[in-house]
Amino acid sequence: MLFNDAFKTSTRSLTHGKMRSILTMLGIVIGIASVIILMSIGQSAQDLILGKVQSIGSDLIIVMPGAPSNGKFSSPASSQGIVITSLKQKDVDSLEREPSIVFAVPEVRGQAEAVYGNNNVTVGFTGSTSDFFQVSNLSKVSNGQIFSKSDVESENHVVVIGPDLAKTLFGPNVNPIDKIIHLKGVSVRVIGVLEKGGTGAFGVDIGNLIVMPITLAQKQFLGTTHFNVIIVQANSTYDVNFVKSRITFTLRQNHSITDPNKDDFNIQTQADILAILGSITSILTFFLAAIASISLVVGGIGIMNIMLVSVTERTREIGLRKAVGATDNDILQQFLIESVLLTFAGGVIGITIGAGIVGLIYFVLTNFFPSVGWVFAFPISAVILGLTVSGVSGIAFGIYPARKAGKKNPIDALRYE
Amino acid sequence: MIEINNLKKEYIEEDTSTLALRGITFSIEQGEFVSIMGPSGSGKSTLLHILSFLDRPTGGSYKFQGKSIDDMTDKELAHVRNKDMGFVFQSFNLLSRLTVYDNVEIPLLYSDIAVSKRKKLIVDAIKSVGLEEKIYTEAGRLSGGQKQRVAIARALVTDPNVIFADEPTGNLDSQSGLQVMEILESLNDKGRTVILVTHETQTAEFADRIIKIKDGMIESDKAIIANRNHRKNLK
Repeated sequence: MLFNDAFKTSTRSLTHGKMRSILTMLGIVIGIASVIILMSIGQSAQDLILGKVQSIGSDLIIVMPGAPSNGKFSSPASSQGIVITSLKQKDVDSLEREPSIVFAVPEVRGQAEAVYGNNNVTVGFTGSTSDFFQVSNLSKVSNGQIFSKSDVESENHVVVIGPDLAKTLFGPNVNPIDKIIHLKGVSVRVIGVLEKGGTGAFGVDIGNLIVMPITLAQKQFLGTTHFNVIIVQANSTYDVNFVKSRITFTLRQNHSITDPNKDDFNIQTQADILAILGSITSILTFFLAAIASISLVVGGIGIMNIMLVSVTERTREIGLRKAVGATDNDILQQFLIESVLLTFAGGVIGITIGAGIVGLIYFVLTNFFPSVGWVFAFPISAVILGLTVSGVSGIAFGIYPARKAGKKNPIDALRYE
Repeated sequence: MIEINNLKKEYIEEDTSTLALRGITFSIEQGEFVSIMGPSGSGKSTLLHILSFLDRPTGGSYKFQGKSIDDMTDKELAHVRNKDMGFVFQSFNLLSRLTVYDNVEIPLLYSDIAVSKRKKLIVDAIKSVGLEEKIYTEAGRLSGGQKQRVAIARALVTDPNVIFADEPTGNLDSQSGLQVMEILESLNDKGRTVILVTHETQTAEFADRIIKIKDGMIESDKAIIANRNHRKNLK
């Protein structure tokens, strides 16, 4: 039997039962659409996260307290409730003396309730030096100014706040500049509002951020002398890995560490962070797609079920076709083409619906939640995967019913009632 | 054309064995019109299935056009069924949602005949049974007699040497049955071998030879050309 004839015969059989064909395809349509949507969302999230990390610049190096994870991913010690006090002012001073380093900016972090009049909100605050704004790419303020070196040295009670926090505390009609707000009962003066849409170091959303002189943060709010992180900006004439080795050398010297396995700090370059985040988001995307593919298996089993019913219903037709000259392979081919056509058409429809939903998500997020900075991603690999999986599931779930049809004895088939 | 010698067919199910054919021997020449008659359970349908390659014997020998069935693979048997045999069934076995044209086309889908030549063959076959006006009608909308004529057109479309008809008038009224038998008779007149299974004497008498089967064995094998000549004279 020519393939064209088999194709024509199969399409004719499928179009004779349109409603059944559509319902049979539905499982595959939902499965493929789910895979497409989740892979696209995963890719978008990956692009968004990695884009934010990349935006901090390849010459930035992050120094954090705690032992390095030696290539394995682990959450920072601070997020596990462990306070490590290994990074001190002495380290910042030593690093700043390194010719390969432009800035060494210490950072401390905490949380406080911000109050202005009747408005209050709990927010995260960052204490740092005036260089923080430059290394964090946050030097643009929409209103007022950033604090200066002398504000840090004098432990002045001044803060720069994020645009969303400004809106929450002061509303749209009050100029926040020079207004006094209370943080944990301490009065601080707002001297600047960060520009809307800005991104903090490593993708931190700055909308609700409060930045204050590190001296103020440590003495008035935290009561500590150590740092949560030191952001180092490498001199661009030096290789980042060389700078990393210089930092390691300096800190080991400061901390009197002779055994490299006993480091009490860990250093991450942008490339390190990108590699870790990239692998995390890839794994997440993979798991999302794996979960979605469960619906594909369910859809495939649905197709196998309907094909088995179809083989039984069309037993006499199979008998007739065999009587007039069809071989086992001709019958197998016809039913297999039917199954693959169903799943492939389901795949194409699923991809189209998936693309439509991905576009809708992008439209909603970019128009109604622009601060998210959502990026559109529709990986071609998802389309290829969708089409391949749908075609292969057609064969995988169609082969058993098709073989069953091909093996039918023509006499028994012709007698079937 | 057909030579069978001591043909046997035994069905074995679990511990039970049933001998449906107990040693049948006869031969049929090209152009003969043979009726196989017998009561229900006599083995006539089993014999027809073996003669038409839909089943294989469990004993004896069967040569079709000089070639033993034992030497042929299932694929070769399917090829011979398509090329040299036409089938007419009691229950028509048409695909009711397909048109007359599409039903008649089915054997051609499995043949070596070029796609470009198919249309003429299909139309000619449909014309030969007088259904050219119904060519694009769904088979399910036809009367019983028309359905059987479509089945005959389907049997003819590959221009086979032999037509096997299994109770072709069994589901028809007498008028339609007569029409169908006349078509089969005219096909035989044009040189085709027709092998008919029936339990109706009137239908069997369209043949020029009647083989009666009972309990899986031949009871009688008689030429009745006189009947046929008489009918022709009446026309």
